[in-house]
Amino acid sequence: MGGKVTCTLGEVKNRADFIIYWGGNPAECHPRHFTKYTLTQKGKFVPTGRKGRTMVLVDIRETPSAKAADVFLQVRPGKDFEMVAALRALVKGQPVDPALVAETGLTVEQLQDFVNQMKSCKFGVLFFGMGLSMTRGKHMNSASVLALAAELNAFTKFVAMPMRGHGNVTGADVILRYTTGYPFGINLCRGYPRFNPGEFSTVDLLVRGDNDASLILGADPGATMPQPAIEHLARTPTIVLDPKVTHTSKISRVHITTAATGVSAPGTVYRMDEVPLPLRPALKSPYPTDEEVMRRIREAVMKKPAWLPAANGRLAARA
Amino acid sequence: MPELKIVKNATCTFCGCVCDDIELHAEGERVVETKRACSLGESWFKHHTAERLYPDALIDGKPATVDDAVEVAAEYLYRAHMPLVYGLSNTTCEAQREAVFLAELIGGVIDSHTSL
Ligand code: SF4
Repeated sequence: MGGKVTCTLGEVKNRADFIIYWGGNPAECHPRHFTKYTLTQKGKFVPTGRKGRTMVLVDIRETPSAKAADVFLQVRPGKDFEMVAALRALVKGQPVDPALVAETGLTVEQLQDFVNQMKSCKFGVLFFGMGLSMTRGKHMNSASVLALAAELNAFTKFVAMPMRGHGNVTGADVILRYTTGYPFGINLCRGYPRFNPGEFSTVDLLVRGDNDASLILGADPGATMPQPAIEHLARTPTIVLDPKVTHTSKISRVHITTAATGVSAPGTVYRMDEVPLPLRPALKSPYPTDEEVMRRIREAVMKKPAWLPAANGRLAARA
Repeated sequence: MPELKIVKNATCTFCGCVCDDIELHAEGERVVETKRACSLGESWFKHHTAERLYPDALIDGKPATVDDAVEVAAEYLYRAHMPLVYGLSNTTCEAQREAVFLAELIGGVIDSHTSL
């Protein structure tokens, strides 16, 4: 878990009496988070359910999630990092400059109250969303809230968890971590894994035009990436595996239709707390699964001589 | 009238909650009822059907067989000096593992939505 102080959603349900959502709008993006895992459920050590829990929402605007919150703290856009820094200072009893705190749109008193609540709870959890991790400061923001949660453990039990979005993106992190040692943006072109976000991350690679072919699985970059990246996908051979003919399929040389994960394709996916769950598809697809097509492409590549001459014998032995 | 099939404790993968307590009712090629799913989950399950709406595969925009598409894909990836394997979100862990194996074989870069 990379030093992250975290837990499963089952522990949150059974223990958490103080819940923070930062830069996320679960009411609209993770509709059952409140009712299934965090706020309203009665837990083993929170027998009164919603009454026994306090929820604080930190965001730049008052989203529908604010209705479910006991306290809403409106931070000025792009000032999350400054706010976390002030909180971390207050947790340690350090003086903070009210003028600097004012820049976050909040007062020292509000932050001190917030810190008092964090320190006096029995089990606190901080969920952070893309409003924190994808805005100014990006991964530095994530790192700072993870550090805040870790530091609070000098006073009480406190954990942090990212609110992961679509599909099985958590599974991608887990699988890449245990197979290569890194979570994303991994280059294997020297025969061993190298990790360097910014260099080997997809947008950067495509915008610079570094790669000379792409295989897209379970994503539609043709609909979401910046224009120069899309142009590079169209210029070089691109292969798409998807249940639908997507924007990316239309600019690619090869498209293969596959069964829809979870609806008609079985397998395993990871929940945002890194608990793996089996899929139970209700339909039977006329198309092969992603897994099957990936295996067939891999087997077709394995029939060709290995690009690393020394690997030829080893690969034959693995096949 | 196609037979009604009921799947208990089905898993929704539309958002990171991955609720695994959904009861699905399926008739033929489509899901008709989604008990306990939220509105996002419900529309996701009902939106994907098992109908044959698209060709098995396309090569340069023309319908092709999966066998041919697999061969052509393998050849492109094999020939590339620096291929990229990207996405890995709306798919299973089993397919992700195959993706890592393939990326290693072709000496490429592997990356997911997390890098955005
Ligand atoms: S049912 Fe709703 S909350 Fe649960 S995984 Fe699906 S979309 Fe998310």
